[in-house]
Amino acid sequence: MKFLCIDCDTAMKFKDVTRPEQGSVTAVFECPDCFTEIAMFLNPSETQMLKSLDLKLGGNNEAAQPMQMVRSQLETGKQDLMSDISSETGIGEKAEGGKCPFTSVISDAFEETAEPAEPEGLKWTPEALERLERIPSFVRPMAKMGIESFAKENGHAEITAEVMDAARGNFPAQF
Amino acid sequence: MKSYKELPDDAGSNIVGQVTAQANRISKRLTSVQRTVAIMSGKGGVGKSAVTANLATALTLAGQNVGVVDADINGPTIAKMMGVRNATLEYAATGVKPATTKLGTKIISMDLLLTEDDAPVLWNAHSQKDAFTWRSTMEVSALREFIGDTDWGELDYLLLDLPPGTDRLPNVVELIPNLGGVIVVTIPSEVSHLIVKKSVTMARDILKVPIIGVVENMAFYVCKHCGEHEPLFSVEDTPNNAFQLTTLGKIPFDPKLSRCNDNGTPYLNEYPDTPASKTIREIAQKVQDFFQT
Repeated sequence: MKFLCIDCDTAMKFKDVTRPEQGSVTAVFECPDCFTEIAMFLNPSETQMLKSLDLKLGGNNEAAQPMQMVRSQLETGKQDLMSDISSETGIGEKAEGGKCPFTSVISDAFEETAEPAEPEGLKWTPEALERLERIPSFVRPMAKMGIESFAKENGHAEITAEVMDAARGNFPAQF
Repeated sequence: MKSYKELPDDAGSNIVGQVTAQANRISKRLTSVQRTVAIMSGKGGVGKSAVTANLATALTLAGQNVGVVDADINGPTIAKMMGVRNATLEYAATGVKPATTKLGTKIISMDLLLTEDDAPVLWNAHSQKDAFTWRSTMEVSALREFIGDTDWGELDYLLLDLPPGTDRLPNVVELIPNLGGVIVVTIPSEVSHLIVKKSVTMARDILKVPIIGVVENMAFYVCKHCGEHEPLFSVEDTPNNAFQLTTLGKIPFDPKLSRCNDNGTPYLNEYPDTPASKTIREIAQKVQDFFQT
């Protein structure tokens, strides 16, 4: 993708990215002549496609680590392999200095999926938690996030077995 | 107003440069690999992985340095068939150290990275909804890393065990443009021939990849009492007629071979004198001859 400042007829430059929301990131581009800025929003599918290709907006100056895509993105992968790559590549760290800021932003989007933040005020009843524990470990984080999103969207302050039943039809994992 | 081509770059992301760097990782890695061979069919259930595992063993026993990439990302079986499921992958700056069989064949497979027996390949994503839009891309990226990021060392042969589907070989050729050759696996059934023909067309006529030949698996079984060859299927067309390709060999069905695959033990070592073992060794020899001519 390329961006043109129509007024200046000048190619715009990558400037920054904002925090992700719901798996979507926003990249900011600036005209080097008039300093006009524009924002490009990547929807979650576009963000995911970029991740699938192991490409980074704003450039990638980091040396490639062995199997970095698989090791950082395989949800059902052995944990020792997954944690290893995090420390090697800085995935999950905040952007600093000259480091490509998109690396951290896109990683934050991934972390959002791996360890979803519990919506404020949302409680799980003991029965619901027990049912959650019965979901296979490798799909549990995804199912938990889906149930909580469903509950929030439908105005439930507490996740009960009934809420889980209502949410069941929306997800591939059975619980 | 300037056009797309008049703008100098992609605003600083250098996506082309990143893709080129990925391709270079594979090219650099394969400089130590003499020959790359894809084992394909298009059809599922014909025994591609069994042929791959035993061919790899036969080549290894013939003194060749052999590596195997289990390119079936979602249904990996090579690690089990070759007895390395419990191996732990080691990571180093030079690449991932592959699992190695007792005979010395090097293996990389998604099976070695999955946490549990019943764990499917599941990719990290904000949502699995509409995952069809990116899942295949993830799989190709994983295959790219398996080939390019494994520390193979010096290899005479790198075999790639492809999953079913006529669309798989194009992905491999994208990653390895100078693929050395393809082995086509079929069984003597019209249903199999119907699908395998499509894969042959893809390889020979569209991708222009050298086809080493056809392996007919489960071609017949040998009566243990009288030694007669009895057919398992009822197809009249021979592989030569059906595909207009060299037949590398017809492997008879042998329950012991299946048992060895389940146990992860090398059939060629355990039962070196069976008709199937002899055929597999002949196939391995023909593969070596192919690259020497």
